[in-house]
Amino acid sequence: MCLAIPAEVTRLLPDDTAVVSIDGVSKEISVALIENLAVGDYVIIHVGYALTKIDPEEARRTLELLRELSTEGQGVVQ
Amino acid sequence: MSLALIDVTVLLAGSTIADVAILPRSRPPLARLFAGKPVSSLRSVLLRLFSLCSAAHEVAFLSAFDAARNETAPPEVRKARIDAVIAERLTELLRGFFVGRLTLGGSSAAAVRALMRATTVLGGGIAERREAVLQIREALTALGGAGGAQQTWPGSVLAAHLSGLDGDALLLPAVEQSFLTAADDLDVVLRLLADGPAFSDAPDLDGQIPETGVWARQAWHAPASPLVAGPADRLKARSAEVALLCTRLETDETAADVGVVASYWLGPGRGAAAVECARGRLYHVVEIDGDRIARFEFLAPTEWNFHARGPIVRSLRGSALGPGRQGRDAVRALVDCFDPCVGVSLGFREVGHA
Repeated sequence: MCLAIPAEVTRLLPDDTAVVSIDGVSKEISVALIENLAVGDYVIIHVGYALTKIDPEEARRTLELLRELSTEGQGVVQ
Repeated sequence: MSLALIDVTVLLAGSTIADVAILPRSRPPLARLFAGKPVSSLRSVLLRLFSLCSAAHEVAFLSAFDAARNETAPPEVRKARIDAVIAERLTELLRGFFVGRLTLGGSSAAAVRALMRATTVLGGGIAERREAVLQIREALTALGGAGGAQQTWPGSVLAAHLSGLDGDALLLPAVEQSFLTAADDLDVVLRLLADGPAFSDAPDLDGQIPETGVWARQAWHAPASPLVAGPADRLKARSAEVALLCTRLETDETAADVGVVASYWLGPGRGAAAVECARGRLYHVVEIDGDRIARFEFLAPTEWNFHARGPIVRSLRGSALGPGRQGRDAVRALVDCFDPCVGVSLGFREVGHA
């Protein structure tokens, strides 16, 4: 399974890294693959890399879906 | 929110891998989420949830739905679905090859950015696709790919990566290999229908757990597959498939598309589909009641490769590790080769000397 999780960029760091918030949990990731990234942008992350920027509304819907699945499955994306 | 990593623990007896433990993981409870919902509402759910392999899931779902209605999509629709699956397979193989595997800095990061940017237009018309393939080839050249299937420019970041995987960092034992093919589709979907999650959580075919994915696909074309397949062999196979897929998308030659998408009518209101995506064969089974989903089951390729008795465990058990980090890095590289998409949490634990 290859779930890709939306995350909000909260801080840009040197060396193409950034801190993102995934539903309230902070994580440092590589943003080497994305140009012109700003705090407040949403990105899809996978195995520690931001893969692409996404629309905030789309990110919100995806996070809602993941929460719904988490409630149903109790543990998939807890 | 966890990131759905798979936990793999390598148990060491001295320098020998005594065993490999893979923890079963939770899967999204899509069956419960989908039951009773209109078919039309589920496409967007699949696209949102599986954004890395959304084309494969979408095509599997639509093809299974067609089969459940005992209908066949027009040839141009079927061709468009296969094109989408192949474009996504190329994208995921490239992403799995470069993202997270190589140190991305300076020019290599720029080349990988260009590569991934080009993949975003692979889903367009033939002219756009040809332009995208051209850009992919240029980016691969910048990264050190010599354009051929298994050749790299000496001194390039790619060549350095591959050469680091050769040698005796990980000495794998010879093991009998088995591969999942389209010929297994009907057995798989009938088991999915009969046993549901009990099967999709830990699938087997007559007790065997075949491998699926790049190495399995190359074995279809080279039946005398070697009994030892190390990380370098597997990455070269991936490189060869990248070259084949580029040519397929550039020429639109469809002769080798057999089995990329297959669908099966399983009785009134029941249908299934299999799709050959980057990670291997993906299955969907649907049961419909009018325009609503009565039942939905799916089986991801990962469940075969990361099965507790599956191909990764078979490959690694009994292996001899080289000293220091090199051996452990080679294990990591091998595990990563089995699936370009999933995240793996890899650990090592001493269990005593052999």
